[in-house]
Amino acid sequence: MWRGLWTLAAQAARGPRRLCTRRSSGAPAPGSGATIFALSSGQGRCGIAVIRTSGPASGHALRILTAPRDLPLARHASLRLLSDPRSGEPLDRALVLWFPGPQSFTGEDCVEFHVHGGPAVVSGVLQALGSVPGLRPAEAGEFTRRAFANGKLNLTEVEGLADLIHAETEAQRRQALRQLDGELGHLCRGWAETLTKALAHVEAYIDFGEDDNLEEGVLEQGRKPVSIVSPEPGTTRDVLETPVDLAGFPVLLSDTAGLREGVGPVEQEGVRRARERLEQADLILAMLDASDLASPSSCNFLATVVASVGAQSPSDSSQRLLLVLNKSDLLSPEGPGPGPDLPPHLLLSCLTGEGLDGLLEALRKELAAVCGDPSTDPPLLTRARHQHHLQGCLDALGHYKQSKDLALAAEALRVARGHLTRLTGGGGTEEILDIIFQDFCVGK
Amino acid sequence: MSCNPSFGGIGKGHLMREVDALDGLCSRICDQSGVHYKVLNRRKGPAVWGLRAQIDRKLYKQNMQKEILNTPLLTVQEGAVEDLILTEPEPEHTGKCRVSGVVLVDGSTVYAESVILTTGTFLRGMIVIGLETHPAGRLGDQPSIGLAQTLEKLGFVVGRLKTGTPPRIAKESINFSILNKHIPDNPSIPFSFTNETVWIKPEDQLPCYLTHTNPRVDEIVLKNLHLNSHVKETTRGPRYCPSIESKVLRFPNRLHQVWLEPEGMDSDLIYPQGLSMTLPAELQEKMITCIRGLEKAKVIQPGYGVQYDYLDPRQITPSLETHLVQRLFFAGQINGTTGYEEAAAQGVIAGINASLRVSRKPPFVVSRTEGYIGVLIDDLTTLGTSEPYRMFTSRVEFRLSLRPDNADSRLTLRGYKDAGCVSQQRYERACWMKSSLEEGISVLKSIEFLSSKWKKLIPEASISTSRSLPVRALDVLKYEEVDMDSLAKAVPEPLKKYTKCRELAERLKIEATYESVLFHQLQEIKGVQQDEALQLPKDLDYLTIRDVSLSHEVREKLHFSRPQTIGAASRIPGVTPAAIINLLRFVKTTQRRQSAMNESSKTDQYLCDADRLQEREL
Repeated sequence: MWRGLWTLAAQAARGPRRLCTRRSSGAPAPGSGATIFALSSGQGRCGIAVIRTSGPASGHALRILTAPRDLPLARHASLRLLSDPRSGEPLDRALVLWFPGPQSFTGEDCVEFHVHGGPAVVSGVLQALGSVPGLRPAEAGEFTRRAFANGKLNLTEVEGLADLIHAETEAQRRQALRQLDGELGHLCRGWAETLTKALAHVEAYIDFGEDDNLEEGVLEQGRKPVSIVSPEPGTTRDVLETPVDLAGFPVLLSDTAGLREGVGPVEQEGVRRARERLEQADLILAMLDASDLASPSSCNFLATVVASVGAQSPSDSSQRLLLVLNKSDLLSPEGPGPGPDLPPHLLLSCLTGEGLDGLLEALRKELAAVCGDPSTDPPLLTRARHQHHLQGCLDALGHYKQSKDLALAAEALRVARGHLTRLTGGGGTEEILDIIFQDFCVGK
Repeated sequence: MSCNPSFGGIGKGHLMREVDALDGLCSRICDQSGVHYKVLNRRKGPAVWGLRAQIDRKLYKQNMQKEILNTPLLTVQEGAVEDLILTEPEPEHTGKCRVSGVVLVDGSTVYAESVILTTGTFLRGMIVIGLETHPAGRLGDQPSIGLAQTLEKLGFVVGRLKTGTPPRIAKESINFSILNKHIPDNPSIPFSFTNETVWIKPEDQLPCYLTHTNPRVDEIVLKNLHLNSHVKETTRGPRYCPSIESKVLRFPNRLHQVWLEPEGMDSDLIYPQGLSMTLPAELQEKMITCIRGLEKAKVIQPGYGVQYDYLDPRQITPSLETHLVQRLFFAGQINGTTGYEEAAAQGVIAGINASLRVSRKPPFVVSRTEGYIGVLIDDLTTLGTSEPYRMFTSRVEFRLSLRPDNADSRLTLRGYKDAGCVSQQRYERACWMKSSLEEGISVLKSIEFLSSKWKKLIPEASISTSRSLPVRALDVLKYEEVDMDSLAKAVPEPLKKYTKCRELAERLKIEATYESVLFHQLQEIKGVQQDEALQLPKDLDYLTIRDVSLSHEVREKLHFSRPQTIGAASRIPGVTPAAIINLLRFVKTTQRRQSAMNESSKTDQYLCDADRLQEREL
């Protein structure tokens, strides 16, 4: 791994970004009457994980997951068997707490599930919640925002909220990029494009069908491509990436090509991908040869990659970088060290193992900083979110097929597209109008 | 009516109903003057029905003038406005000066407490036919130059748009016998909630005819592009109401529809909808005579293009008052829109607010969740526009809730209480309808039978009997083949009384159709309204304010659009969620400071309660 670049992508899968665009139909608005859920305890392996819901359907969700039991006493811990409402399969024996609003964190009806912290259990409960009608995964900072809107937080408590949300949106942006890079992303984007086009055709048929000479076949064109959507998201992982457990944090480790200039086309592609990963990583482990720091490529690397990440102010980016100098065994023990002008760095010898503990400790600290915030979405929520939106999309397409009323059909299509664009971004009205005016000669 | 002799259409019909719900005039005057009523999109669901009618130009003018001239306390004075009279601003409002009247072209002055500018295509209007251009607001009328200069000097950001109108053809020169004849609906669906029928009976109404362009039309357009400066100009024209030239250029080798529409009962003119053009006059007639049925057509007035100034609508508030000049309101094409209905929608809002402003009452704003008018004005004031803006149903998030049938329930009650613009009679009718609907829906919900019984009662309905759960009458009404009449026949008590008023019966059917979806839409609407209930201070100086952490880019965007609520701010492209949170915090701090000033004893709990109260009201 000569001058290789490792990027550690903490698998803190906070759902995809929520762009601040015009709200497309079907995308639930934050602060709306919907009931939200999220894992609200910290990341990593822990004894107990806390999953929280907020909103009018909280009590309903609790009853469904603990059927056939009634709601527990308000604000009392009760032991309940949680099962998946669809399969009836038991998920975990958990402590549940019922906080009817307004005496709760957000001021709305809230439920807390204290479950055993294993990923399978957490994931199971999150997916079970996602399948309850009226529930959806929370947006970045949404619990806090609801609490704020209901007058449950005072102003000093909310000081840091915007920064937090900024950091979250930034992290989500990278997260979304990372997810969308793989086959899953291609698939979703393809579907979203198909749906957008289908919707544009249906909308064109509604807004211009009778006034203009739109062919009768337009609607059929709109209906056909939709049917190719399947519920299976497919789970693809870049071959260069391995999920590892690092100091208790679930981490996605991406090993990329070294950043070299002027190499053959194949390696250039590798370098291009490396740069892409670099852009998306939460934590960059930049590795250089300690005995070769004066070489032009090392200097270049320091000047571009290391300096550029270091130069970003913490509020601009939550991306972090650790500079590691390997082969410390080749430096003369009494020598002056690798160089006086270097930014903060760690020395390591993979040969002797010297410095490894220090590196792990530094990694742990960085990961804690990246993942430790309890309000960020948990890794497993990504899957719950994908499932939630894909299922929502599928359900809406079912309604679309059944609808005889074209306005209702179009509404179902809007909802379906809304769900997909929540995973892929985009989704504004202008996009639809652009397709309409590009595809049809409309107007009197 | 200076262009097409028609009102309404898809999306536009919704605006007509909303204007009427606020007691705006045009819908009622149309019903006195319509010569061909047709509901578009009949097969596509009542949420997207497009009420439309051909209107007699002469009758409309007469009826409108009669109505206006007979309005009590209204003085009408005709004259071209050349300049504005400006005075010191009111200190409690933003804006660098205040308008206090206008100067007419003859130098005389008219003083006013507030002024609404509806300049149409007159601001530096320029007419184009072929290679010739001459200054005019519309054929035969002088443009408005001085006023355009005044507005520019005041600091308004000005843009340029273009539109066009087709030639008018002599009726007796058209061979209608070989063309496709379209007859009006019978019965006619009136535009106005207050009318049960329209003035001219369906059997007395006029037909429209349909013909098509052909490759010879394309050929004439393409051969003569060098004689057609309007088409080549860079000024933005509408993509959805294009001239025949741009249709030929963008979609070659196609046949395009041409509707031959009557201009009125005793008019000799036919308006060829779809043939807006700017070719030199002699070529226009040459092209027209290539078209089937128009072989011997005589062009009475050539088509022409118009280019005109508009002012970036992000410079006005949702009440349509300008940010720069207090008590100055803009409505219509000056804000970048096209179409009579879009203009009327703004006109009624500007009129209401100009009056409320004078009587120092809070502005009347329609939200995106309440009406197409709200969508139109919110789009304009938060996003601006770079092409003539036209209403489409696809622009509306809550399309299933904002329907032509229920515009009165959405707006009439508010118009009566908050704006005082609605007559007592209309208000009472809307109240009666609203409560009858609510009562009818709850009765329909309360009647439950097993599906097998429903099947026996209404055999023509395709009710599935596979489930043995009770089914509500409301759910049965959702079936396409069931209406209130068949339902009332099956269950006369207590349903019969809901079939006595035809409108009520039809509206109950529509409510049933959308019932399940509306429940979800209501949740979303609530979310949007929560954000809209959070007002941003009007005098906030985004460029210098220190208490809010905002990026420079966001500051500039907020400074230009001056959103009035958190909801509007969140729709401005480029305003990030973090910025919204910061603004939210600012709003709360401001509210708190105000309430602390008002009543120092009430603290958190009060705010908290107020929030919850707000929520309940929504």
